[in-house]
Amino acid sequence: MFTNIKSNNYQEVKDNMNNQNIYWNFVNGKIETNLTYINEDNIKYNYAYRNSSYGSNHLQKVKEFGDYDIYSSYEEDKTAQATNFLFNKNMYDFMLQHKQLPIYSCLMSLVLLVIIAIYLFWAIGYKQDEEGISLNAMDQIPYEIISMICFSFLAIALSIITNFFDMYHYVVVTLYMIAYLIGYIACALWGVTTIKRIKAKTFWKSFLSYKIIRWFYHKTKKCISEIDRKTSSSKKVFWYYWGFVVISIVLASMIGTGISLILLGVFWLWVFYRLRKYNRQQDEIKEALQKIYEGKTDIYLDNQELEGILKEMAVYINDIAGGFSNAIEESLKSERLKTELITNVSHDIKTPLTSIINYVDLLKKEEIPNEKIKEYIEILDKKSYRLKKLTEDLVEASKVSSGNVKLNIEEINLKELIHQSIGEFKDRLEEKNLKIEASMPEEEIKIKADNRYMYRVIENLFSNVTKYALDGSRVYIDMKREKGKTEISIKNISKDKLNISSDELMQRFVRGDKSRYTEGSGLGLSIAKSLTELQGGEFTIHIDGDLFKVVMKW
Amino acid sequence: MYNVLVVDDDKEIVGAIEIYLKKEGYNILKAYNGNQALKIVQENEIHLLILDIMMPEKDGIETLEEIRENKSIPVILLSAKSEDYDKIGGLNSGADDYITKPFNPLELIARVNSNLRRYVSLGSLENKNNSKIYQTGELVINDETKIATVDGKKVKLTATEFNILKFLLENKGKVYSIPEIYENVWREEGFGAENIIAVHIRHIREKIEINPKEPKYLKVIWGVGYKIENIN
Repeated sequence: MFTNIKSNNYQEVKDNMNNQNIYWNFVNGKIETNLTYINEDNIKYNYAYRNSSYGSNHLQKVKEFGDYDIYSSYEEDKTAQATNFLFNKNMYDFMLQHKQLPIYSCLMSLVLLVIIAIYLFWAIGYKQDEEGISLNAMDQIPYEIISMICFSFLAIALSIITNFFDMYHYVVVTLYMIAYLIGYIACALWGVTTIKRIKAKTFWKSFLSYKIIRWFYHKTKKCISEIDRKTSSSKKVFWYYWGFVVISIVLASMIGTGISLILLGVFWLWVFYRLRKYNRQQDEIKEALQKIYEGKTDIYLDNQELEGILKEMAVYINDIAGGFSNAIEESLKSERLKTELITNVSHDIKTPLTSIINYVDLLKKEEIPNEKIKEYIEILDKKSYRLKKLTEDLVEASKVSSGNVKLNIEEINLKELIHQSIGEFKDRLEEKNLKIEASMPEEEIKIKADNRYMYRVIENLFSNVTKYALDGSRVYIDMKREKGKTEISIKNISKDKLNISSDELMQRFVRGDKSRYTEGSGLGLSIAKSLTELQGGEFTIHIDGDLFKVVMKW
Repeated sequence: MYNVLVVDDDKEIVGAIEIYLKKEGYNILKAYNGNQALKIVQENEIHLLILDIMMPEKDGIETLEEIRENKSIPVILLSAKSEDYDKIGGLNSGADDYITKPFNPLELIARVNSNLRRYVSLGSLENKNNSKIYQTGELVINDETKIATVDGKKVKLTATEFNILKFLLENKGKVYSIPEIYENVWREEGFGAENIIAVHIRHIREKIEINPKEPKYLKVIWGVGYKIENIN
């Protein structure tokens, strides 16, 4: 028996207790009480102290005191005044009734939290009258450090809250408040700076580790490129090769681990890719060189992607190409200047020439009894016209050979052109008893050319024929189309001996021997060749004895 | 009597032109630079102007542009500049014709006559409604009388030439190749007649054009065909 009543008689104690104003007993698993507001359950699940076999008191639920009877009593009904108990009891009942309330408020808070978070994420970082995200000093602190500081404060706050969890003292409560405040501020600051960094796109860059890694990366890269620059390419190949071998062997020796097999595969694929890339770049450089060799100078190699010796080569090639195209431009410019000069000089020649021609013409119309004077005037007339033709041809030749003409390339019918040209020259050909033998294919022959300049070519050739072909001979014009190429040839027998090479004949001012003293300027063939080539054709001259043959190809 | 003003800084050229045009019955006025020319144009009734381009002080183009501000008289530019763009530039500045130095005196006279005729008798064309009359610019042919005229002057054409010209004039502005012309004029396919057509056309050109090498009416599109220019 355990009791706080000073008596050793069990029955005496029991009676004493049951005579008190208030009592409640637990006898043989049943409750006896005079309290109206306490039911069995209230007591059954209450706690009571029990002297355990371990020698210390410990709490146990009343209902578990199956082997004991419990008698408790008070002299007076203190429970009626125990508003605290009542209050708690009522509170407990109320809470039980409204237990869904905290769940709802939790959910609402969560929704609010999300809305506010979204708003904050959207609105944070903007300042009035300022463009973009404004970052303050705190946002400049490396992210790890600011996170660490914030979380340290949060940890302190949390430790305070958890350690003094069940103490209700005003000091402790004040401490709680401070801890919550610190925790809240730490969280808020951390959140704000995180969002700002993300929005300003400096999130990763603000990591200290990012800066460190980047610094190391640049240093290493610089170091490697320094070594790369100083090492000759043959040495590099040596190192690359042994590097490849060593890495392969190391990976192969660990083949049992499976992962190294994958690594080896990846490594070999990578090496293959690098080799392919290097090869392609080499090909590019080769092609560029070939283009320069073929005379195309408008090339530029993008050396951004190239490395090492290939990059150097690309730079040199770009310089060479630039130099070439500059030189070509220079020569074109000087060619243009020459043309301009010739054109201007020709204007100055033409003005006095106009007077010469006109007054010679007037002289011709005068009644002159002296036959000799008439003869002289005739010579003046002829020569002044030749001078006129010469100046005109000179301007044209210089223009054409410097490529200073505007071409209007369109499709033209070569057969039609030849017929038209024959029509133009018919009378002059007949004058010299020249007979045209034209053999042209049935189908239409079309080429791309400038029709006016194309006629100039044919005109010059026909004009040559009328001037230099043997009187009464035949002139052959052959046109054919083979393998997509159009070929047209004009053949005639020269009246003078052609003791001259075709190359020389083509040179400006050079003509077949004696003909220099007759008509024409000697520029006709040169102009015809230049014009043909300008229009994308080939122009060749063949001389075989007295046979003079011009072949043009498109 | 028409007044023709000749402007050139080369006095000999002005002199030669004067001789040629006086023979044709024109009254000649002379100027040796742009400013003199402008003065004469203001003070006299000028019917036609022959103007050099390259002159000191005020060049031909500037002079021409000033004259064009209030006068529509025919102006023939006369220049040693013979490039296409010179001619185009001159004509675009308001010139009616362009002759290059050294010029053929006959061509100069023909062009002066042609320009004057058009200037003086502009719009006085007869029988415009007659369906048998075909015309472009100053080239007119009458299918009834089989007469062709250029600038009012009769041109002698053979029957074949007349038929070819009539066909091209009926379809002015369109380009016809030699076979097409043959088929349309002879109404049969022509074999080996290509050169003959080309020769006929050259002859027509020589008859109707002042300068057959730079035709105004019957244009040659080399390697394509021939056409009559459509001039209103």
